[in-house]
Amino acid sequence: MQEIQKARLPQLWEYLAKKAPLYLPQQEDGVINFAPWQEGARVKLESLNTVLPPKSIVFPQWETYLHFTQKARELKLTPTKEPEGSYILFGVRPCDVAGITVLDRVFLQDPVDVFYESRRRCTIISLACNEPDISCFCSAFGLEPGFAPAADIMLWDGDKFLLWQSLTEKGETLTHSLTDLLEVPTPAETESVQCLRETAATVQEQKWGLDGVKERAKDMFNAPIWDSLYRRCLGCGICTYLCPTCHCFDIGDFSRGERGERFRCWDSCMYKDFTLMASGENPRPTQKERVRQRFMHKLSYFPAQHGLYGCVGCGRCVRKCPVNIDITQVIKEAGGSISCA
Amino acid sequence: MKEIMQKMRAEAARVLSSGEVDLVLGWEKGDLWWQSYPVFIENEKKAELLTWDLFCVPNLAKYLLEEIWHKKRVALFFKGCDALGFNQLMQDKRVDREKAFIFAVPCSGLVDPQKVERAGLHQGLLRVERLGDELTFVYKDREKKTAAPWFYYDKCLTCRYPNPVVFDFMLGEPVPVNPRERFTAVKELEGQNVDARFQYWQRQFSRCIRCFACRNVCPACSCRECIFDLTSPRWLGKATELSENQFYHITRAFHMAGRCVDCGECARVCPVQIPLTSLNRKLIKDIDELYGPYDAGVDPQKVPPLVTFNPGDPAAFLESKGV
Ligand code: SF4
Ligand code: SF4
Ligand code: SF4
Ligand code: SF4
Repeated sequence: MQEIQKARLPQLWEYLAKKAPLYLPQQEDGVINFAPWQEGARVKLESLNTVLPPKSIVFPQWETYLHFTQKARELKLTPTKEPEGSYILFGVRPCDVAGITVLDRVFLQDPVDVFYESRRRCTIISLACNEPDISCFCSAFGLEPGFAPAADIMLWDGDKFLLWQSLTEKGETLTHSLTDLLEVPTPAETESVQCLRETAATVQEQKWGLDGVKERAKDMFNAPIWDSLYRRCLGCGICTYLCPTCHCFDIGDFSRGERGERFRCWDSCMYKDFTLMASGENPRPTQKERVRQRFMHKLSYFPAQHGLYGCVGCGRCVRKCPVNIDITQVIKEAGGSISCA
Repeated sequence: MKEIMQKMRAEAARVLSSGEVDLVLGWEKGDLWWQSYPVFIENEKKAELLTWDLFCVPNLAKYLLEEIWHKKRVALFFKGCDALGFNQLMQDKRVDREKAFIFAVPCSGLVDPQKVERAGLHQGLLRVERLGDELTFVYKDREKKTAAPWFYYDKCLTCRYPNPVVFDFMLGEPVPVNPRERFTAVKELEGQNVDARFQYWQRQFSRCIRCFACRNVCPACSCRECIFDLTSPRWLGKATELSENQFYHITRAFHMAGRCVDCGECARVCPVQIPLTSLNRKLIKDIDELYGPYDAGVDPQKVPPLVTFNPGDPAAFLESKGV
């Protein structure tokens, strides 16, 4: 294990940014999101979750994958080359690292999504949470606020310094290149990691038991809860766009005259047109079916297909839904037990 | 507030059991301190779910579009801003006054959870209470008292109609009206040159994720078919390209001109804090200056300045002087 003094972080970022594009949480107009580091960047490591998850970097809201020209009867297609080169995600919270693992299940399975695959060649440096928010519930899914097993490097906030541990070969290589900046922590500092991990886990106020939830969720298709939830839903899809695991997309064209491009972009099961057929038929005709789909997908269909929940408990939808539609209420309805610390 | 909450529950039970209405729209308390959300009550026994606290901010008026379409008679609760939105729906002939039974709830301001968070008071918070002009933040083992206005939504601090302008039954006493100046941010922007303003708005709009929450929540956005939803032709592409985001916001702002009631709901729901209030208030201010003061939503019988023509109307745009 190593450590870096917080005072030296700007130096570290400058160095890293020279090696590869470096994304970290930054504040602009009061909003904190992952953005590329530049000189003078307003980095906000201490804030918990960014508004948009780092999903927006590995799976951007929209990207062009094909250019086309059409002259008379001749159609010419030019596929966009997949993005090249690696980059670094710095300060990703453990739930968001787990979110990327969920996306991997979708995009890296056969047929592999080459755009996602190439963006996934990034190095993830995760920052443990010392003090999870009241709306965080990652531990419900067996995740740990103080540790992200799928990250390349793990950091813990020790107030004046960050403790630094590489978890993968990629992480190790990067760590080796930083000998000038990293130091050896004292044994007491190294030990404090265990303590930070334990405290973070206990600070998370709600202790969840999810035994049998995915099995019970399977039988919730006709449950009365959907009737009481959907009527207030605005159908805005904030809950899906901000979710680190939601991955549905749509395909569209920009075209002007003979030329155009085809792109894919995030879509949301909360939207009326999501399941709208060309014939005008819509198998999810009201907001009730759409709200049900979102929760059933996360708690039943996704686990059935992939063996893990489609929610990592980041709490973004809980915090940002304008009418407080709260997934933890659905989990409780499905038999999730909860006790307060 | 507790007293008003008791009255809410009693009145809701009364109008449901007498059969005056089929449905009561109010707010219900969630598990976490900031959660007070719309609730639909059809059975008088459920009237106990109703709450009235510092977080009952969602406007209930727009739900009438759906419910009245189902031919329901609906009783609902309005704060001052909500009533303005209802009047705009009336003006747009989208709701039937006869179908709605309105309880007025005079409002002295609601608490913005983001301000609580920014002040670092949110960790471990259980609930927030108000006595007079003082808030009490209640935690498991301690309490903290502070002056209430610090934590009110900006829209509450500048609110000019905290007492509902339309109602059938008033719960509680009218509150004093004491708004702060609402055009401060607009004037500040107006003071900058064109390039700086353009850059400012580009930066804001580039953050937009096009969830359309601002539109969906807006009581002045009630078109049966919205231009932004049309698929053929598709006026607005789904890629959140800056130019497309600008197209969305400029078009919506123009559709709001003379119709926005300044309820602040759009700015509240925006997940990326785009200052939509400044955009809307710029149009309100321009209309006030060009055609005389007009407040949308106050009197649905009044003719809005942009749907009428007066030979004396200024026509600067014809003189091609630019702006
Ligand atoms: S469903 Fe909500 S809490 Fe779960 S991962 Fe998505 S945004 Fe986070
Ligand atoms: S659940 Fe909330 S965030 Fe999601 S679509 Fe409905 S209103 Fe929007
Ligand atoms: S534009 Fe915004 S402030 Fe104006 S009426 Fe609509 S929601 Fe309210
Ligand atoms: S609510 Fe905000 S992010 Fe959503 S469409 Fe409106 S301005 Fe854009």
